[in-house]
Amino acid sequence: MTFSIIARCPKTRRLGLGIATFSIAAGGRCEGIRHGVGICKTQAYINRGNDLLALQMLEQGLSPSAVMKSLEASDPDHEFRQIAIIDREGNACAHTGSGPRPWAGHQVGDGFVAFGNVLAGPHVIDGIVKRFVANPEDALEFRLLAALEGGRDAGGQVGKDGPLPERSAAICVVSEPDHPDIDVRVDLHPKAVRELRRILEEFKLYEVFYRERGKRPDLAMSQGEFVATLAKRQ
Amino acid sequence: MTYTIIGRCARTGRLGIGIATFSITVGRYAHSVRSMVGVTISQAFPIENNNQTALRLLDQGFGAKATLEHLKTNDAFYTYRQIGIIDRTGASAAYTGPGVRGWCGEVAGENYVATGNGLVGQHVVEGIAKGFLAEPDADLEHRLLMGIEAGRDAGGQGTITDHKTERSAALQVYSRDPYPDIDLRVDLHEKAVDELRRIYIEYKQYEGYYRQRGEHPRDAPSQETFMATLQKAS
Repeated sequence: MTFSIIARCPKTRRLGLGIATFSIAAGGRCEGIRHGVGICKTQAYINRGNDLLALQMLEQGLSPSAVMKSLEASDPDHEFRQIAIIDREGNACAHTGSGPRPWAGHQVGDGFVAFGNVLAGPHVIDGIVKRFVANPEDALEFRLLAALEGGRDAGGQVGKDGPLPERSAAICVVSEPDHPDIDVRVDLHPKAVRELRRILEEFKLYEVFYRERGKRPDLAMSQGEFVATLAKRQ
Repeated sequence: MTYTIIGRCARTGRLGIGIATFSITVGRYAHSVRSMVGVTISQAFPIENNNQTALRLLDQGFGAKATLEHLKTNDAFYTYRQIGIIDRTGASAAYTGPGVRGWCGEVAGENYVATGNGLVGQHVVEGIAKGFLAEPDADLEHRLLMGIEAGRDAGGQGTITDHKTERSAALQVYSRDPYPDIDLRVDLHEKAVDELRRIYIEYKQYEGYYRQRGEHPRDAPSQETFMATLQKAS
């Protein structure tokens, strides 16, 4: 029970991942994203070693489909995984085994994969894709967020006893080797996607201030002063 | 303004960080641990790539003190940084530059550094260290969280007359695997340390289930079925 999107921005070459799920603290299981290399995200029944192993293979220059074959060869429970892979050039592939609970599936597009399991149906994936491609000029983090909102609004997760809320969600975008650009998380909340928008919008107000005070601390105003300038702006 | 405990478990070699601050989404700035290598934090006016630079130096085999010396040589604004480092042997090093604001400083020993700035006083970092050291046989994540809560209870950030709340917090522990054992975050909340405890308690109930369903998907009950057993137990 999860819906996710991994993508590469063709303009900026930034790589990003968005995820929303009933499970808690999902953002703490999303280490498979690396600038200049690619993204791998395994979900449904997670083999924690998969994503970092895939990044190592992508780094060696293997294509996403070759990486997927190797993951299959090294995992007796490959049929229980749902895996999406994208490389630094935007080549993508996906696998939804027979093991993940229904409805489960994926859609591979030009530079992105939308995928999920325990969903209301294939229209959830359509909802993710539709919102993701709607505004290609927007920053990748907001396209990913819109995509998650599209999945939620299309019905999101539905288990055998009915709809399941998103209890955790995360967005990560990278364009540097040493730290993420965007890394926002909601670990436990009754409406995690809505809360994720609140946090991302707030973070975008602080993003430059936080970066610049580290680069030029001699010129930095205090955070109290900065917060006061935000209050004036609103 | 921030307070942090970085620690190493002498029994297991596990490494981790607990951090709380007025700034938002602090977890983005605290990718601080590498398994079997070390843990570090740069805060106050943090330069964004310092944590990864330190971890790479530790990975090459430099000790905590030598790593700190390299960071100093590498940084024109070193005097604005507050840094803590623990290497794989448990040796620690810490620095608080004269450019850091408010009450600032640290208590450091073998296997831990309690460090903070913009705090109500020295007793906050002393409280953190005491909280961390209180139960040396407990799991590292528990000890780190006890440290952070002790910092909050000692008055935390701001001044006696102008308290600043914790708006974000994070807890991360690595063992032998290249991905975290536990990785929990609160990105924007009016009482982030309280919220981190709430998420921690909830997550700990699911931790074994999430691991088991990935390792043995064929026998895994659904999350809804698992949750029904939690409700019975409570």
